[in-house]
Amino acid sequence: MLRRCGVVLAGLAALLSIFFIGVPDARAEYGDVVINNYSDASGMRPVVFPHLFHRIRFRCKVCHADIGFKFQAGGNEINMVKIIDGQFCGACHNGEIAWSVENCNLCHSAKPGTKTQVHESTIQKLAQPAAAAKKK
Amino acid sequence: MRFRSLIAFTFAAALPAASALADVSGKDIYAKTCSVCHATGIASAPRYGHAGDWSPRLAGGSARLYANALKGTAKGMPPKGGNPAYSDAEIKAAVDHMLAAVKDAAKPATPPKPAAKDAEPKAAAPVAAAPAATPAPAAAPVATVATADALPAGDVNAFNRLLKPVGRRNPPPPEDGIHDPGNDGTHALLPPLTAYAGLPKSFAGNRVNWVEAIGTKKINPRWDRADPAAEPVVMDLNIVREVKGSMPDVVYPHKQHTEWLDCSNCHPAIFIPQKGANAISMASILLGEKCGVCHGKVAFPVSECRLCHSKKKDLARPAQTAAGAAK
Repeated sequence: MLRRCGVVLAGLAALLSIFFIGVPDARAEYGDVVINNYSDASGMRPVVFPHLFHRIRFRCKVCHADIGFKFQAGGNEINMVKIIDGQFCGACHNGEIAWSVENCNLCHSAKPGTKTQVHESTIQKLAQPAAAAKKK
Repeated sequence: MRFRSLIAFTFAAALPAASALADVSGKDIYAKTCSVCHATGIASAPRYGHAGDWSPRLAGGSARLYANALKGTAKGMPPKGGNPAYSDAEIKAAVDHMLAAVKDAAKPATPPKPAAKDAEPKAAAPVAAAPAATPAPAAAPVATVATADALPAGDVNAFNRLLKPVGRRNPPPPEDGIHDPGNDGTHALLPPLTAYAGLPKSFAGNRVNWVEAIGTKKINPRWDRADPAAEPVVMDLNIVREVKGSMPDVVYPHKQHTEWLDCSNCHPAIFIPQKGANAISMASILLGEKCGVCHGKVAFPVSECRLCHSKKKDLARPAQTAAGAAK
């Protein structure tokens, strides 16, 4: 009986691990957005966008209405061509308002393989109950 | 099971005394490169010291593990851990180092320490920092870090996933689990606590009260990208949403929102600008819709119930009228 329980539990854990593995137990600052649309494939580290440092300097409206960032992690299909062209990050990160794109590693600073997501968000926590992911 | 992995960690931390001399190179490579994924299990990597992660992989023999480490796998292991500069022998030494940790885990020799945490870059760092030092002192910092620092998410207050233990609030970038500590740029980034110095505190999210910060002029973020003098058009209009049960009604203040946002951010895509036209539930908010587009991602999270549910219902009155009718 105990043994059968063990087998069932192991099966459950395996099933859970299929769903939850790949979402690391992240502890980044609340609101940090990881963007990994193209980075991994291009051999760069994924981008970490620190929401809150930007919030200290600009109101939400500047980026989300004027510059046109959608409220969705990874939903803007940003690439370096657009940035250098002055769109998205490049609207400010042009060496005039903020530092320019030569500083690759300041943005491309996440651990390789980190998925696109808003860290510490409720949706992330609903999708990845920490306790369930650890049960193995 | 968890207990055993704890044992594995404590033992793995104490182990270098025995094998450090032969294992210096493998250990260094692990600390520098492999640990990025194998410490926490990123991209389903088998975690260092977790025997359970390794046993199915060991079934194919260690030759297969060497081959996977050298050539990579479709699951996400990059060839040579993503660093082609390593020689084949060095990669094998790193694999051996990781295997040694799980082999020893099978026969625990030390009693488990209460707060041994998952091996993470921080824990790996002291070992890496002193590869030439005598092994025993090198192992000591790992143990102290483990007891002093925070536990993994599953261990403390796991019943409330929105509640963060003290040691895990606002970590500096190299220790936050997302930034790559091996990246030079990571160390140039401003730590959150430095940025938040002097800002009013709150109990959730970044633990900064942003509304108060802007209200008391502690910060003055620009309203226009280039023009520091531009001022927002603030609209002072409260919308009261009556909710079911005894939960206080929601008061939605346009004022605090228009300090930060443009009307077009919310209307009409997220909220139809008409009272009663928007069906909102806590479930949809938790799933990132409606208020949850921001609240729970960047604005204060839903653990702060009373910041929205702030208008107390007059529950006494219906009871009184009922009593009056009974007379």
